[in-house]
Amino acid sequence: MSNLISTDQPFTLDEKEALDALLDTLVPASDAGDKPSAADVEFVQYLAQQDELFIPEVKSLLAILGHISFDSEAEERYERVVAFSNSNPRAFRELLSRVYDCYYQDDRVRRAIGVVSGSPFPQGNEIVSGDLSLLDPVIAEADRHRYRDTK
Amino acid sequence: MDEDVVDVLIIGAGASGAAAAWSLADTRMRIVCLEQGDWTNPADYPSNAANWENQSFGPYSIDPNVRARETDYPINNDDSAVKVVNFNGVGGSTILYAAHFPRLHPSDFQVKTLDAVAEDWPIDYATLEPYFALNDRVMGVSGLSGDPMNPAKQPPLPPLPMGLVGEAMARGFNQLGWHWWPSDSAIISQPYEGRDKCLNLGPCTSGCAQGGKSSTDVTYWPEAIRRGVELRTRCRVREITMNDNGFADGVIYYNAEGEECHQRAEVVVMAANGVGTPRILLNSVSKQFPRGLANSSGLVGKNLMFHPVGNVQGRFDERLDSHKGPQGCCILSKEFYETDLSRGFVRGYNLQITRGAGPMATAMAGFANGTIPWGAGHHEAFAKRFDHVASIGVIGEDLPEEHNTVTLDPKLVDSDGIPAPKITYRYSDNSLKMIAHGIARAEEAMWAAGAVEVRSNGPARLTGWHLLGTARMGSDPGTSVVNHWGRSHDVKNLFIVDGSIFVTGGGVNPTSTIQALALYIADTMKKNLANLFD
Ligand SMILES: Cc1cc2nc3c(=O)[nH]c(=O)nc-3n(C[C@H](O)[C@H](O)[C@H](O)COP(=O)(O)OP(=O)(O)OC[C@H]3O[C@@H](n4cnc5c(N)ncnc54)[C@H](O)[C@@H]3O)c2cc1C
Repeated sequence: MSNLISTDQPFTLDEKEALDALLDTLVPASDAGDKPSAADVEFVQYLAQQDELFIPEVKSLLAILGHISFDSEAEERYERVVAFSNSNPRAFRELLSRVYDCYYQDDRVRRAIGVVSGSPFPQGNEIVSGDLSLLDPVIAEADRHRYRDTK
Repeated sequence: MDEDVVDVLIIGAGASGAAAAWSLADTRMRIVCLEQGDWTNPADYPSNAANWENQSFGPYSIDPNVRARETDYPINNDDSAVKVVNFNGVGGSTILYAAHFPRLHPSDFQVKTLDAVAEDWPIDYATLEPYFALNDRVMGVSGLSGDPMNPAKQPPLPPLPMGLVGEAMARGFNQLGWHWWPSDSAIISQPYEGRDKCLNLGPCTSGCAQGGKSSTDVTYWPEAIRRGVELRTRCRVREITMNDNGFADGVIYYNAEGEECHQRAEVVVMAANGVGTPRILLNSVSKQFPRGLANSSGLVGKNLMFHPVGNVQGRFDERLDSHKGPQGCCILSKEFYETDLSRGFVRGYNLQITRGAGPMATAMAGFANGTIPWGAGHHEAFAKRFDHVASIGVIGEDLPEEHNTVTLDPKLVDSDGIPAPKITYRYSDNSLKMIAHGIARAEEAMWAAGAVEVRSNGPARLTGWHLLGTARMGSDPGTSVVNHWGRSHDVKNLFIVDGSIFVTGGGVNPTSTIQALALYIADTMKKNLANLFD
């Protein structure tokens, strides 16, 4: 029996299991429960939609990483990923940037860190205009702060 | 050969080309601008999408070698301590600029007289003053009048919000008794000339989806085109051609289909920036100009100046909403702008307060510098930094040195086969001392502002934003490329209006001054139309 999840699923079941364990090791859910684990933010869908060309890279990274699953202790998984990142620093960095990119696009995560969900435009942001009376000391010392005269 | 002759041919539709075209449109001459890139569609800018941060590292990267669009040209930075960044398209680098919009100071035009270094400019601040004001009006500049560090000026729009970042840093500067002021910004704080105001999106340096940032595709160009200027995109100039009388008679360029075309012209105006302009001049070799056009001085491509940059970031316990608001425009300090030889270097720098990055960039930067781990400690470390930082950019004055150059790369070419520029650049001792001093002072300011952790780096490499000096102005044809109104000493119908003509760089971002110069040159051309070539 093939262990493919479905024909439009780029990862085998084994790969998917390892990927989820890897993602959860990279960014576990927050203790407070307001931020999900990176295994829970549709990383595969993100790759398929936003970075399809990186899927083969992920597959080969998983092959190098070898068997990793939720069955093993978190500590053990962590050590495996540390070893992997040390021996493949460039590939690891590439992977991590995708994981963070996907993770910080998730609406639950964005809500938790105070960022508008979705795109910055057209929502925009409110910011305080700032207290211009803070300029008083500069104005009081205007003679000392004057630009250099060239005449 | 195409016999169609235009009156004025402008090369490059960026900051300076747009201003020159707009001004020259008054003459009702036939004006054509050739631009190698496209119009950008604000609906395509990254901030329309949730993955805007990722896009700003790829298709909207500030590094043309990473962006690598067909409309970009490659740049060989291998022998340079600084990498050139730019954008190629209508609006030029203003599409991606941060829009921090200070003016050069009066002293910047007289560094030889005042400090016995480099050369004086052949013009002064007072000459440019009306053009600074005009440019502020057309671009739409926000700011606060009354800064004692500048001659009097009145920005047309009120300042952008300082935000919590600006307030925190202002308190720090006040505690030290240092100068600071809200930045002049080419970003509109209120609706202006049909454009809606800035929405504080954050990522200005990947294009402004709102149109609140004053890039020249939304300021000068629509008006210039309405007034009859023809702007042709996807036209990449290879070289300027000459007639037997020593005048430029047009250009050879490649159109969108890659076909070689010749456009004849009575006057050629170069606005391709401090790297693009020397590139074209050096590639325009003829019997009269075997070393490149307008290069009898041998100075085309030499004296390349950037602004050396140092970065200091402070982390604060309190939330500063750092990711909100225009990244590069907040407040600045000019406490160390002028020469004080007791500091161990000549000239000075400004301290530009910048806001923080988005979440992905925060997480990746934290990974790179070891402050935000992946794994169990990620959330706690991330929460301490994200929206809790303020940064200071130390932007120093670079002095001209002939060994810092733009030349033609012997091998690298663009998609039309035109030789690519090669940058050769190293920091002077003066620049290194200046940046070290600036970083130490910026660290002091961070602690005074209440930071609980301060990290610094610099001079930083991907900071070649300001491209200056490679075809400088001057009165002496032996030591300069163009005269005091931008006309080539060697070729009387060839003008340069971009950052190449800067004699020295000043210690602030240059675009306001580049555009004031372009308007001044265009105006001088208009006033001298009857005897333009005398
Ligand atoms: C990321 C970034 C941030 C910046 N932030 C600031 C800031 O905050 N403040 C500030 O003052 N400045 C800033 N700058 C710099 C600012 O954008 C430039 O100083 C300014 O745009 C230079 O104007 P210019 O007319 O000389 O050249 P550009 O605006 O670069 O325009 C040159 C144009 O010429 C075209 N061109 C070049 N070669 C050819 C050719 N062979 N044929 C046809 N067309 C050609 C290019 O495609 C381009 O459109 C920033 C720049 C960048 C990239």
